[in-house]
Amino acid sequence: MIIVTRSNVTDAEIDHIRERIESVGMRTHLSRGEQRTIIGCIGDESLLEGVPLLSIPGIESVTPVLKPYKLASREFAASPTVIRVGGREANASFGGRELTVIAGPCSVENRDMLVATATAVRSAGATMLRGGAFKPRTSPYAFQGLGLEALRMLVAVRAQTGMPVVTEVMDTRQVDLVAEHADMLQVGARNMQNFALLAELGRVRRPVLLKRGLSATVKELLMAAEYIMANGNHDVVLCERGIRTYETATRNTLDVAAIPVLKRESHLPVIVDPSHAGGDAALVAPLAFAAIAAGADGLIVEVHPDPECALSDGDQSLAPPAFQSLMDRLCAFAAAAGRTMSVSPSSARAVA
Amino acid sequence: MSDSPRGPEALAELAQCRDEIEQIDRQIIALLSRRLTLGKRTGELKKLAGLPILDPTREAAVIRRVTGQARDAGLPPEPIREVFWQIVGMSRRVQETGDIPAPKDAGSDDS
Repeated sequence: MIIVTRSNVTDAEIDHIRERIESVGMRTHLSRGEQRTIIGCIGDESLLEGVPLLSIPGIESVTPVLKPYKLASREFAASPTVIRVGGREANASFGGRELTVIAGPCSVENRDMLVATATAVRSAGATMLRGGAFKPRTSPYAFQGLGLEALRMLVAVRAQTGMPVVTEVMDTRQVDLVAEHADMLQVGARNMQNFALLAELGRVRRPVLLKRGLSATVKELLMAAEYIMANGNHDVVLCERGIRTYETATRNTLDVAAIPVLKRESHLPVIVDPSHAGGDAALVAPLAFAAIAAGADGLIVEVHPDPECALSDGDQSLAPPAFQSLMDRLCAFAAAAGRTMSVSPSSARAVA
Repeated sequence: MSDSPRGPEALAELAQCRDEIEQIDRQIIALLSRRLTLGKRTGELKKLAGLPILDPTREAAVIRRVTGQARDAGLPPEPIREVFWQIVGMSRRVQETGDIPAPKDAGSDDS
């Protein structure tokens, strides 16, 4: 249930409305926009049947939310949500006018390669660093990531470059450890419906990057976001990363339509991972352009200083010059979509 | 940081602030312990009086009261509401189960 308040509603009236709703055993969520203020009601809506909501001062309209996701739904927020990541020294945000590009290696292999990649992607205009510490690999015999050692390297490189870091958390037991080191916690596609993990992430105060499962519908993705939000953490960024289809020419099929659909259904920011979607370095740029044209709020791109020697996902990783070229060409698409980019000196030079 | 002329002074005051914060945290724990002990007692009294443990009207009134107090004190009301929903929830669980660790050391600080 969504309650829209009158434009001149007072704090005391809002307190009174929320008390009436909470006194039947429901919970409320307040969203203040410039135009209007929305009070979302969470819980068993039948409890409100006997409450004459429209006669409570300050209420303009009452609408039921028919979708199974509430906190994640577009109706629950007065305006699209901007999610801030990091602290004073290293920060980024998702969902504003400026696009946010996350770049970095699939997995952290050693300190030198991480520093080299971070420096290169930052000068190309990326504002956040990615890097896997715990890797979910299809084969138990493949490289599994450096774990805590990689987390420490990410922290060191954040201090050196001023870029906030995102890394994947695979297991409920790792949540606190990863949250101590990273600015943003990633839920990988294979864990999108690991409900114990989602609930645990609801209890930490770190933004979550939630990747769409390989075979998950848009609704299932939004329900996964709802899980995190219902447990108390409202900072969720959604990520389309390609879904499994009958097509074998690409690793996955980037569901471009999911971007505007998610933006219509939800107030949460949406970014796209063109690296995993295509599984091929040559496809990263065209898929990235398509994503931004379709309204995505940012990208997450795999970059490796020497893709041929990468310990994981080398085929889809861009070398730094290719990433620089992608960022240079992306500017035109961003401008066409009414978005801005944090332009770096080197990409400004390339444009000039 | 300690290279700046006022660095040592700032560091000394920082240590002082941290001490004070630690003391305040200890008081908060002691107060929570007292609040939960009272919660347990109200649970027993509700049972004696034949009242249900879950009382959403009362919980909503508590939340509204602290929201107003937070606003008056210049604190952001939404995070304070979250904190108090946690406290109210803890208190309800104590009332339901009667289960609360004995408040041994926690209470001694403010006595």
